[in-house]
Amino acid sequence: MSALSSVYGIVARDLVRTTRQTSRLLGGLARPFMWLLLVGTGYNAIARLEGALSYQAFIYPGIIVMAALFGGMLTAIATVYDREFGMLRLMLASPAGTAAVLAGRALAATLVGAAQGAVVLLFAPLVLPISSREFVAALGALVLAAAMSGMLGLMVAARLRSVENFAGVINVVLFPLLFVSGALYPTTGMPPALRALARGNPVTYAVDLMRHAVGQRGEFGVVVDVAALLAATLIAFGVAAVLFDPEQRFVRARRPRVSP
Amino acid sequence: MNGPPAAIECAGLGRDYGEVRALDAFDLTVARGALVGLLGPNGAGKTTAMLLAGTLLAPSRGWAQIFGHDVVRERRAVRRRLGLIFQETSVDPLLTVEENLLFAARLAGLGGRLARAAVADAVERAGLRDRARQPGRALSGGWRRLVDIARATLHYPDLLILDEPTVGLDPEHRERVWALLNGQRRELGTTVLFSTHYLTEAEPADRVVLLSRGRVVADDFPDALRSALGDEIAEIEGPGAERLARAIRGLGGAKTVLRIGGGFRVGLTGPREPVIELAGSAPGIDRLTLRPPSLEDVYFAKTQDGAGYP
Repeated sequence: MSALSSVYGIVARDLVRTTRQTSRLLGGLARPFMWLLLVGTGYNAIARLEGALSYQAFIYPGIIVMAALFGGMLTAIATVYDREFGMLRLMLASPAGTAAVLAGRALAATLVGAAQGAVVLLFAPLVLPISSREFVAALGALVLAAAMSGMLGLMVAARLRSVENFAGVINVVLFPLLFVSGALYPTTGMPPALRALARGNPVTYAVDLMRHAVGQRGEFGVVVDVAALLAATLIAFGVAAVLFDPEQRFVRARRPRVSP
Repeated sequence: MNGPPAAIECAGLGRDYGEVRALDAFDLTVARGALVGLLGPNGAGKTTAMLLAGTLLAPSRGWAQIFGHDVVRERRAVRRRLGLIFQETSVDPLLTVEENLLFAARLAGLGGRLARAAVADAVERAGLRDRARQPGRALSGGWRRLVDIARATLHYPDLLILDEPTVGLDPEHRERVWALLNGQRRELGTTVLFSTHYLTEAEPADRVVLLSRGRVVADDFPDALRSALGDEIAEIEGPGAERLARAIRGLGGAKTVLRIGGGFRVGLTGPREPVIELAGSAPGIDRLTLRPPSLEDVYFAKTQDGAGYP
C-alpha cells in the first residue's frame, strides 16, 4: 500500500507538471506534425516506395512512435531537474525507495509518451486508411513504444548530472535512435553497418510493430517486435535501477560490519 | 531488562568518498525526545553523518541504528520513522504548496483521505494557509523552508534529521521554523538532530556534538561544554593582548586561552577583580570585555587549529 501510494504520488506529480509546462507540451505535439508536413510533403514528391504508399503514409507509423519516443524519453530525462533541485533525494529517501521511484517515473513517462503518440494517431485517418481494429492495435503498440522510451530515458537520466546536458541528449541520443530505426526510410535499403545498428536499436522494433498495427508491411514478425520491446524495456529498467542506486551497489560490494 | 532502543545509536560510523575520508568514526547515542545540535566547520562531516543516519548513504565502516533498526539492513523501517530536511529546499516550483505536501504525503505512504488530512494539518501547523494555493516558485526562501518543515513533519515522524534548517533565513523565518519544530517536540515528543552554523540555535539543545575533520571532538550538555572553558570569558583586543593573556595565565586565573583572529579569549577561573586590575595597568589593550562563555567559544576551542594558546 505504501509503495503504491508512492508510485501514485510520483505519477500524479509528473502529470500535473506536464500539463503546466505548456510550451514543452505544445512543442512535443507540434514536432511530429512538423516532420510530417515539412519533411513528409517535400519527400512525397521525390520518394519512390513500393506499391501505392505515399511517403507521408510510409512515415506515419514512425511519426507516431517519434511522438511517443520524445514524450516518454523527455519526461523520464526530466529526472535530471529533480536531481538538481533536490526532489530526487526526497523521493529516494521515501520508505518505498528506489524501485517505487523508478516505477513511478517510468509509468508517468509511459503515460505522457502514449498520450502524445495518441494525439498523432488520432489524425492518422487523414493520411492512411486505418480500421478501428488497427486503431486499437496501434494503441497497444504505442503503449509498448512509450514504455520502452520511458525506460531508455530513465537510463540516460541516471547518468546525467546537469540540466545543461539536456539539449545534447536530444541530439546525441534521441535523433540517432529515430534516424536509425526505419521510421523515415526503410532499414532494408541501409548499408550493412547501419542496418546492423538498426537491428540493435529498440526503436526499430517499435516502428516495425506500429507498421504491423496500421496494416503496413513490417520487416520482422509481430512476436519478434513485441519480444524485442519487452526485452529492451526490462533491460533498461534493470540498468536504470542499478545506476540510480549507487549506494546499494556500494553496500553489496563492500558490506560494512552491521550493527549488533 | 533493557529499555526501548535509543532514537539514534551509532558506533565507528564512517564514510569515504574515494580517497577522501569525509567521516572518520562517528559515535553517538541520542535518547528519545532529545534535541541534539551537531556543530562543526564546513567539511567536518556533519552532512555525511546525517545522510548516513538518514539511510541515503551507505557507511564505509561502523554501524548505525534508528530506534533499533539498522540503517543498512532495515532502511524501509528506518525511513518510516524519519523526517529529513536537506540543506537545499525541496519544493517543486510548478506545484502549489498543497500539491507539494500531498506529493510528500504519498511518498510517505499515506493515501486518500489520510494524506489529505495530514496535508491540511501540516498547512495549519506551519501557518501556510494563506499560501496553500501558491506555486512553489512564488514563495520566498523563508516560506519554502517552512514548506520543507511541514513536508518533513506531516507523517508525524519520531525522528527529525535537519541539515542546517535555518540557513539563509531572516530572523523572522528562523523564529517561525524553530516555533514549528518546538511545537512538534512538545506535542509529539519528536527527537530532533540538527546541524547549524548559527551557534545560538544550539544553546537550548539538550546535547551538543562537535565534529571536526570527521571525528567527534566534544559531546556534552551545552552548560558542561561552556563551563569547561571557565567561569567567564575575557575578550581582549589590542597590540598588548597576548602579553595580558600570558599574565592572566601566570596569575593562575586562566582555564583556557584561545587566540581568535587578532585577539584573545581567556576562560577565567576564580575572582575577576585581579584580572580587571591587571588589564587596567597593561599597555596596548584596546578592549577588554567580560562575559559568560558561549558555544561559539567552545566551537573555536574545539575545532580551530591553533586556537589554543600557548
